[in-house]
Amino acid sequence: MQITAIATVAVTIFMLGSFLYARETLSKLSSGMLSRIEISVYLADRADDKRGRAIAEVIGADPRVSAVTYVPKGEGLRQLQDRLRGQIDTSLLTSNPLPNAIRVRVKNPDMVPAVAQSIQKMRDVANVEYDQATVAKVLRLTETIAKLGLIMIVVLIFAAAVIISNTIRLTVFARRREIAIMQLVGATNSYIRAPFMAEGFIAGTLGALVAIAILAILQAELLPKIMVTLSFIPFSTAHVDEFHLMLELLAAGAVVGVIGAWISVSRYLRV
Amino acid sequence: MYPNGVRALDNVSLEIEKGSFVFLIGSSGMGKSSILRLMYRERTPTDGEVHVDGIRVDTMKRSKIPYLRRNVGVVFQDFKLLADKTVWENVAFALRVTGAKSKDVMRQVPRSLELVGLSHKSRMFPHELAGGEQQRTAIARALVNNPKILLCDEPTGNLDPATTSEIMELLLRINLKGTTIVVATHNQGVVDRMRRRVVRIENGRIVSDEERGYYFLGLGQSSVLSG
Repeated sequence: MQITAIATVAVTIFMLGSFLYARETLSKLSSGMLSRIEISVYLADRADDKRGRAIAEVIGADPRVSAVTYVPKGEGLRQLQDRLRGQIDTSLLTSNPLPNAIRVRVKNPDMVPAVAQSIQKMRDVANVEYDQATVAKVLRLTETIAKLGLIMIVVLIFAAAVIISNTIRLTVFARRREIAIMQLVGATNSYIRAPFMAEGFIAGTLGALVAIAILAILQAELLPKIMVTLSFIPFSTAHVDEFHLMLELLAAGAVVGVIGAWISVSRYLRV
Repeated sequence: MYPNGVRALDNVSLEIEKGSFVFLIGSSGMGKSSILRLMYRERTPTDGEVHVDGIRVDTMKRSKIPYLRRNVGVVFQDFKLLADKTVWENVAFALRVTGAKSKDVMRQVPRSLELVGLSHKSRMFPHELAGGEQQRTAIARALVNNPKILLCDEPTGNLDPATTSEIMELLLRINLKGTTIVVATHNQGVVDRMRRRVVRIENGRIVSDEERGYYFLGLGQSSVLSG
């Protein structure tokens, strides 16, 4: 009986935990991506370093811009090599095909199109690019998940509480004689409820612990593999606060256990 | 009136004085238990009032019921003891649920056990005891909180005649100490031997109420029909 209750909580908290983890990751990812929106400005071949830095300075003077970095072609090649290390052997290149570039960060994501446009108008600017489209998609995705998330959380906790209350009801039923005698002899309802609620609390907390353990193992095993498969996503920017999440899950488990127990005993006490 | 439509008690009016000893008699299912249930608030009347020890009981808040039950001890035909607890623990249980301190428990339980004559068996379990001893345990438990009233619903129903006498003798002794006792029974012998106030219930109505009554009508000194 105890095992059923613990298992129930474990499953529910596991689902809750996975979900919350995924949501947290996505949310961190998207804000990470958002804050790293970069406008890449590729300069014309005729622009030399001096011209390039001058352009960078002008851009930097724009109040909408938060950061400007001039990336001469040499630096650009080095960064590319770093990124592609292991995939392409760039030492085979005989000359540097990259133009001089400027990376621009803006203060607010919605300013990006406007800023990009004004930069495009400048002399010696060949290409202006930014990846707004993808980010917009991610943003929308996160919003949907956030809304879904709330509903899911409520449903999951509700379901867990109901199942727990049913499981604990078996215990209550098994001890109904004792409960009846307790009522006969003058025990208050709280006195009668207390041990069952303690049981619920323990079952809930234990279940949450089991779920957390499983989630931790999964994270250690699966996450690296996922990160490799989806290497184009910068997971390193998404630090989910695991400790915080753990505490939340533990609390959820305990609460579910206690509420479930309260419900099942109360029904029996004809309160 | 019970929820399933059975009219258990019909127009019943009863007054029991402090310290008295009253028998409620009548065949099974006639309403005796129902009257008792009203007194310890196991049921509420569809109509009417119930007062116990000066307090209105039928409209009492649910949260106050435990306190009523501590002042009204109840004993049943099937003893209703906890099988996994010893005699001592069964009696102490009634004290512990009221939140009594350890020292009070250590004081009251032996007193109660002594009253019923079970001090020497305090470490035994219910299944190791004879019926009479189990009932005495139940009585000790019912009395441990020093209630003013003791209700007994067929207390000797499961006991042999000899044991029955012992139990009734015990109840008499308790009554002499000042506890009001109400016994619902269909045991003719007991009633006839004790000659106490006898209230007869038939089909949910009180058909007679005699001060020193016999089980069967007409043998008493005065027959008063009240209903």
